[in-house]
Amino acid sequence: MDALIEKRIKQVKKGDQNAFSEIVELFKDKVFQLCYRMVGNRHDAEDIAQEAFIRAYINIHTYDMNRKFSTWLYRIATNLSIDRLRKRKPDYFLDAEIEGTEGLTMYSQIPSDDLKPEEMVESLEFQEWIQKEINELPVSYRSVIVLKYIEELSLKEIGEILDLPIGTVKTRIHRGREALRKRLRKI
Amino acid sequence: MKCSQSYVELMHKYLDEEIGVEEEKQLKNHLNECSSCLNHFQELEKAIAFVQSTTHIHAPLNFTNSVMNRLPKEKRLVVYRR
Repeated sequence: MDALIEKRIKQVKKGDQNAFSEIVELFKDKVFQLCYRMVGNRHDAEDIAQEAFIRAYINIHTYDMNRKFSTWLYRIATNLSIDRLRKRKPDYFLDAEIEGTEGLTMYSQIPSDDLKPEEMVESLEFQEWIQKEINELPVSYRSVIVLKYIEELSLKEIGEILDLPIGTVKTRIHRGREALRKRLRKI
Repeated sequence: MKCSQSYVELMHKYLDEEIGVEEEKQLKNHLNECSSCLNHFQELEKAIAFVQSTTHIHAPLNFTNSVMNRLPKEKRLVVYRR
């Protein structure tokens, strides 16, 4: 896998655009998922994920082949997602409720009758609820939680992506977990 | 009674898999005795499980084509060589 990526990147660096489409194919789901979990809707996520690949292509000469390509790519995608969130009105993602959902709780969204726990977790309502709760986290906690628990990256990689020392990554993960605990314990 | 914050820190060390053998013993002994810390710990584990239960989502159809169509035009030299 790594050897293949290295080969394709060398081709892209020489100006071969076709080689880049293979790189997009390999990473599109991961990058899209990262953007989606960060910004919370598919429309913005698609826009940002496309932009991330385009920037990666344009700036490929700045990628250091000795480092992991995915880390470099995720860094571009994460930064673009954070930029997009900053451009929104700050109250939009901090504590404002989404229009039409005022007063909705998990209890009113989940059909409570006789769902087994595993069925509940798989239900669309539950998935939407979790995403909404993730979106309520402050961006600094959200990014580490998404990278650790959804993209399943190591603390070291998370530090490289966010350009933070490991100690700061750990503190944010701890605080992010506590924030999630408080939000999710009601169910 | 509220327990010392140090147990919460041990919980996070445990969750980061960075807890030492002695510390782990200390944490487990405490969780056996203190229901409020045990509850705190279980809530943390539940929150993580919920986040991890998010289904993996896929990029939209035609994603790769859309990206490729938006790239700046290829250098002529390479097209020529192919």
